[in-house]
Amino acid sequence: MDLKVIDNATCTFCGCVCDDIQLHADENRIHQAKKACVLGKAWFLNHTAERKYPDALIDGKEATLDEAIEAAAEHLYQADMPLVYGMSNTTCEAQRECVEMADHLGALLDSHTSL
Amino acid sequence: MTCTLGEVKNRADFIVYWGGNPAECHPRHFTKYALMPKSQFLPRGRKDRTMVLVDIRETKSVKASDVFLQVRPGKDFELITVLRAMIKDQPISEAQIAETGLSVEQLQDFVARMKAARFGVFFFGMGLSMTRGKHMNSAALLTLAAEMNAFTKFVAMPMRGHGNVTGADVIMRWQTGYPFGISFNRGYPRYNPGEFSTVDVLVRGDTDCAFIIGADPGATMPKPAIEHLKRVPTIVLDPHVTHTSKMARVHITTAPAGISAPGTAYRMDEIPLPLRPALESPYPSDEEVVRRIKETILKKPDWMGERPQMLTTQV
Repeated sequence: MDLKVIDNATCTFCGCVCDDIQLHADENRIHQAKKACVLGKAWFLNHTAERKYPDALIDGKEATLDEAIEAAAEHLYQADMPLVYGMSNTTCEAQRECVEMADHLGALLDSHTSL
Repeated sequence: MTCTLGEVKNRADFIVYWGGNPAECHPRHFTKYALMPKSQFLPRGRKDRTMVLVDIRETKSVKASDVFLQVRPGKDFELITVLRAMIKDQPISEAQIAETGLSVEQLQDFVARMKAARFGVFFFGMGLSMTRGKHMNSAALLTLAAEMNAFTKFVAMPMRGHGNVTGADVIMRWQTGYPFGISFNRGYPRYNPGEFSTVDVLVRGDTDCAFIIGADPGATMPKPAIEHLKRVPTIVLDPHVTHTSKMARVHITTAPAGISAPGTAYRMDEIPLPLRPALESPYPSDEEVVRRIKETILKKPDWMGERPQMLTTQV
């Protein structure tokens, strides 16, 4: 089996954000995370590229991504005081989009920091 | 007053972990930055450094420490205040020292070590910032670090958990001027933790729709907050179907950041690092989904009508 090797991969499990991890991966999963700690290994090895969950759920029923985006936008737009919260396990690029969306919505915006 | 972990690695000969358990929560913090590395200024690595651990109980981090100070639970603020007085040789009563759960000798030794250091660092964790006194404790420790600069170089740095929380702070500061607890409901950002912070908003029932990304409040928040999340339409973006997804009206599965979604994440010392994803995901990234939701919202008429550039009347 051919494994793809990724040098200097970045682990985002904890605040250390170690950027020296060597990952050995095939198309489906990561088999090895060298230099990573116990937490980092568990983080890398527990994710797969499989389709484990439906694309989206609306009211507990499977739905397409387009339908879910439309429903999410409608709920947020109809709300008088929407809340945008979280943003820990995501990228800065997504966080920037969240801030812009909260601005347009006139929403509340908050992260884990305030917990 | 803070610095990067690179400076700690190369220069810090006196390390204090306060209210944290790095051995279990940040396992590589010792080896990669704070204790083990050898450098031009610390050629013998661990032997050139002193590590003091301040915590309410013995954790696995104690084994890595040179000195362990077991502070009485909820007395961190008192201990910091006593230390601030002691470094300036101000009088302290025995009762005040006894209250902290430590002895005069232990504190005198700690103060002597702090003053003898060439470069000292306080790393403070949630045991300090999230217990009795909360941000007042952090503020007191930052003040102690600032005051120590009358004697030697001293800095303080929070030990952040949860992947990219530091990034969230940085991005919100950049875009709005405030790090968290923000409201846009007047059309411009306002900052007021306690009023706009999520737990308070949810417990009071002050929101009628929640958008949750990269977090699982269903597993971490107090019960009244979760009860309110169940009452209002909730939208969740997550790589897994989480506790929160199960009570949500809309769940969208996204690619996990750093595993199959590219982007940037901030380290706890506010150094941005690029992510190198190893897997292709069948799901879209958070960034793409949020952008598409935002674009869908933008097609609808603006909720404010004509957006004023400036408020003309006092509200």
